[in-house]
Amino acid sequence: MNTERIKRILGRIPLHFVVISLVIIWLVPTLGVFVTSFRSRQAVRESGWWTVIKGAPIPGKEEYREACASCHGMDGKALAEADLSDPEVVGDYVKTNRLLPLLREEIDGQPHVEDPEWQALIQDKSRTKEALDKLSPISQYLSTLSGGSQIAKYDLTMSNWIDALVGYKGTETYQEDCATGVSKSGKFKCDASDLLNPEGMARAFVNSLLVTIPATILPILFAAFAAYAFAWMDFRGRMWLFSLLVGLQIVPLQMTLVPIARLYSRLGLESSFLGIWLFHTGFGLPYAIYLLRNFLGGLPRDLFESIYLDGANHWTAFWKLALPLSVPAIASLAIFQFLWVWNDLLVAIILLPTNPVLTYQITNLIDPRGGNWHLLTAAAFLSMIVPMLVFLAFQRYFVRGLLAGAVKG
Amino acid sequence: MVPKIMKQGTLTPWLYLAAALIIMLVFIVYPTINTFVLSLRNKTGDAPASVDCRPGEPCWGIFENYRYALTNPEMVQALRNNALWILLTVPGTVGAGLMFAVLTDRVRYERLAKTVIFLPMAISFVGAGVIWKFVYYLETGGGPQIGVLNAIITALGGEPVAWLTNKNWLVNNMSLWVVWIWLWAGFCMTILSAALKGIPTEILEAARVDGATEWQVFWRIMFPMILPTVTVVATTMTINVLKVFDIVFVMTNGLNGTEVIANRMFKFIVTNQGRSMAIAVLLILLTIPIMIINVRRFREQEAIR
Amino acid sequence: MLQKKFALVLTLLVVTSMLLTGCPTPAAPTPTSPPPTPTSTPKAEPTPTTPPAPAIDCMGAAAGDEVSVIYQWSGAEEEKFNAVVKPLVDACGIKIVAQSTRDAAVLDTKAKSTPPDLVFWPTTAPLTLYTAQLKDLASLGANPDNYADYWIEMGSVDGQWLGVPVKADIKTIIWYSPANFDLFGYSVPTTWDELDALVEQMVADGNVPWSMGLESGPATGWTGSDFIQDILLVQQGPQYVLDLIAGKIPYNDAGVKQAYETYGKWAKDEKYTVGGAQGTVSTGFLDAIYKVFSDPPEAMMVKQSGFAGGEIAKQYPDLEYGVDYDFFPVPGAQGMQGGADFMMAFGDSPATKALVAYLTGPEGAAQWAKVGFDLSPNKLALGNYTDPALIKKAEALAGAQGFTPDIGDTIPAPFGEAEWKAIVDYINGADLDTVLAAAAQAQADALQ
Repeated sequence: MNTERIKRILGRIPLHFVVISLVIIWLVPTLGVFVTSFRSRQAVRESGWWTVIKGAPIPGKEEYREACASCHGMDGKALAEADLSDPEVVGDYVKTNRLLPLLREEIDGQPHVEDPEWQALIQDKSRTKEALDKLSPISQYLSTLSGGSQIAKYDLTMSNWIDALVGYKGTETYQEDCATGVSKSGKFKCDASDLLNPEGMARAFVNSLLVTIPATILPILFAAFAAYAFAWMDFRGRMWLFSLLVGLQIVPLQMTLVPIARLYSRLGLESSFLGIWLFHTGFGLPYAIYLLRNFLGGLPRDLFESIYLDGANHWTAFWKLALPLSVPAIASLAIFQFLWVWNDLLVAIILLPTNPVLTYQITNLIDPRGGNWHLLTAAAFLSMIVPMLVFLAFQRYFVRGLLAGAVKG
Repeated sequence: MVPKIMKQGTLTPWLYLAAALIIMLVFIVYPTINTFVLSLRNKTGDAPASVDCRPGEPCWGIFENYRYALTNPEMVQALRNNALWILLTVPGTVGAGLMFAVLTDRVRYERLAKTVIFLPMAISFVGAGVIWKFVYYLETGGGPQIGVLNAIITALGGEPVAWLTNKNWLVNNMSLWVVWIWLWAGFCMTILSAALKGIPTEILEAARVDGATEWQVFWRIMFPMILPTVTVVATTMTINVLKVFDIVFVMTNGLNGTEVIANRMFKFIVTNQGRSMAIAVLLILLTIPIMIINVRRFREQEAIR
Repeated sequence: MLQKKFALVLTLLVVTSMLLTGCPTPAAPTPTSPPPTPTSTPKAEPTPTTPPAPAIDCMGAAAGDEVSVIYQWSGAEEEKFNAVVKPLVDACGIKIVAQSTRDAAVLDTKAKSTPPDLVFWPTTAPLTLYTAQLKDLASLGANPDNYADYWIEMGSVDGQWLGVPVKADIKTIIWYSPANFDLFGYSVPTTWDELDALVEQMVADGNVPWSMGLESGPATGWTGSDFIQDILLVQQGPQYVLDLIAGKIPYNDAGVKQAYETYGKWAKDEKYTVGGAQGTVSTGFLDAIYKVFSDPPEAMMVKQSGFAGGEIAKQYPDLEYGVDYDFFPVPGAQGMQGGADFMMAFGDSPATKALVAYLTGPEGAAQWAKVGFDLSPNKLALGNYTDPALIKKAEALAGAQGFTPDIGDTIPAPFGEAEWKAIVDYINGADLDTVLAAAAQAQADALQ
């Protein structure tokens, strides 16, 4: 290895540092929700998602050691008649407001707590609030000792993902519903066929694809023709028509829903795939034309002149030259049109209510008051899979040198 | 100018444009005209807007809805905020996108890095709302901070911050801008990266062989070559920012000084059509400067090619 | 090479998608599943006063007839609704094609293009928006005798009965932990003065009396509007609230201002509420509920509607209703504030009539109560509840001196949001007169 090379590698360290730290910053918010999607609804509200690395917290160990270990022992088993590791014995005393009254009571005429300081705190009714706060870690430790629910709810779980996949909407989880092998709610068969439950994700997934694929291809196809005309044809009104088109991008989608829905009900297009394809095509076109025209217009003029000298006409120039050269632009356009349609909720609810798409199905999982929202964490990732695949697939077409090759050829 | 030898019949261009124009006429132009008409009508669209005037209060007659759109204090706040949004997030997203496009172009894990930056785009805005809830979350009682930002701040010994419900409206808006940049930088990066890849390698190599630094290569060669695309991206971002609605609606609903125009429009969409449509028309009119800039650039481009 | 591949991918995508849509698509998902069994064990058989289950009247609907409905329910709520209509669906073979949305714009678009047969909506706003399109419910087989007069009034426009409440929840209640109250020796207050004294007592004991949280995404502020309306019911009474709704009293009236100040005294001070003003504005409304029942408790009381019980049970499955959590009516409130989901009919097909008649009749009411989908305002539902909390709520509703709907929900939108904004701004330090003037302006605009 020569010094020149080492120098080069060292010189690139700042670059790597910048890129990697940006990547991390960009990733953290999403990562947080990804981790959260494996946590129970109780755990989410009580500790940050990053705490999963540390494992389940065991609060109150120190407090317990100080106050109780001398009698009950660190494992709680020292007194046979009061085995604190026995859930039966501990029972409700894992709740601080039950533990305090218990401690106030005497055992065989003796105060429950020997330590005078503790005893004073516990017996002084005017210091109840203070006593509760002090006892709380101990009751939590009791819960740990007796294998209570404190531990279980910190375990990572797949239930958010499973619930979202099968479309479980109840108040427990799908696994609890099917714990006995027979669905308590009667909605499920408790086997793999639940994945095809019409209120689950699978059916909605297909609907989303059926909506999105044509609604991505149609606008790009029409836009390519129009953009070619704007870039390489001369006609009156070209300039103002194009600038009007730039302006059309601002039209807020919400404004158009009522007139279009009325039109559709007259034409019998309501709840039809054709209707929703055309709608998305209409809204995708201004941006698609705008982007493609700028791309096509930026191509070298001599390319077009030379193909003309070879005897080509516009039709051949479009198919043989313009379209192949704009592959990177088309690829990026396809990615975004796909995304917008895939993530759309409003248009889908209004124009395609009978064939729920993924976004619509996801909102149906959540209770209006925000209950079940933990399912959203998993559902959001399920719906992200396809857009990410599309991005990865189309990224291959952002290749350097397409143009260079064409010039040479 | 279009090369002379490529002249074509008068009809040909319109054949190429036909499909796109017809669809846009139906889905955008027709509803827009409908919007203009309704903006001069009352709440339900069955009488002129002037019937909504109240005695003893200022009245703009048939333009009564525009009086609301231009003078109501909340609309004024929304206009101010939209202006700030454009001033800060458009350079923010385009700059970030350009930086990502240029930097990732030089590392071997380009695909991975790009995928991560692009990731937010694949999330629906409902999902984005949940994601940022876990970033901005503020615990005001005794419990632990479960939001990343406040957890970091308290770990460093600071006081937790109300990111979205602050008394200082700029803080709330800034928090929303950060979400926007996070969401849209991937978009700018993707388009700009496609443009960067279009620059012939020979030109760049030639410059490097001539002893140009990377900095010079970027500003003297790359940037001018992708300038048309930068304009496209900036224009698109400006238009998108003007329309910003989803994020604001989900995260603050315009409270605590974060109101924006599109959110005002949405509030009235069902109950006061006229007012809602007037706000929409205002939004459309605001794009006129953008259109003028584009026409100018269009002319320049025509002149040089 | 690359271009060719790209073109191939494109063509393949087009072809497959065309093929797929060419196939007959399966019918829309319909709720055909059996109802979830009630989780609490049913008590003894229905009270003897209930007549034996009469046959369900299909109103001439044939098997396979469809009823299209729009409602806001989703998730567990939708499941419960499906359980409520199950007997009718089974008996008549009709199909309910439901669309769930919380978006008024979606309802608006549908109403103006392809209206559904029935709409279930948590406000009466559609009554005024679509008066001409809605059908009189009596003509569809609904029986007004089954509802208290105030319900009929709320659902009527110009003498036409267009909306009937199917589901109700009471709001004028305060949730607390009986176990904690016992420990501190607090007793449930029965007058406003007692509540005030209790609050001061709690502060003296080092406790935080209230847990408040206004944050609720796009609906941030609604919990404050509920609280203030309850204070109005205490300080001014139900007629005052109804006059506000009708616009006879402007929203910046002295009475409203007094209620805001009463609320603000608690909501802005960290002695009285968790986190003070910052806590009130930033805390999520669900988190505000949890804070009272956490261990140790962060606060002693939370003023929240009936649904809070279900949220407590979900977050703290170990807690027991009646021992660890319970509620009492806001002391001194003259009348009850509540929310209801109203049913309105755009269609009048036999299947639609069958559903309307079923839900407003004895069978639907009894089934509603048995399923326990909150309360049914139908008088015939009483005596059929099995859940202890619902029984108590139903009694509170039946015994209410008067009933007022939510001000913000009843004055046409976007007044409700103007009201929320006024509250949030006030708590965050804005001048009270200014925020109330802005809300009064929105009230006047909306009622014009």
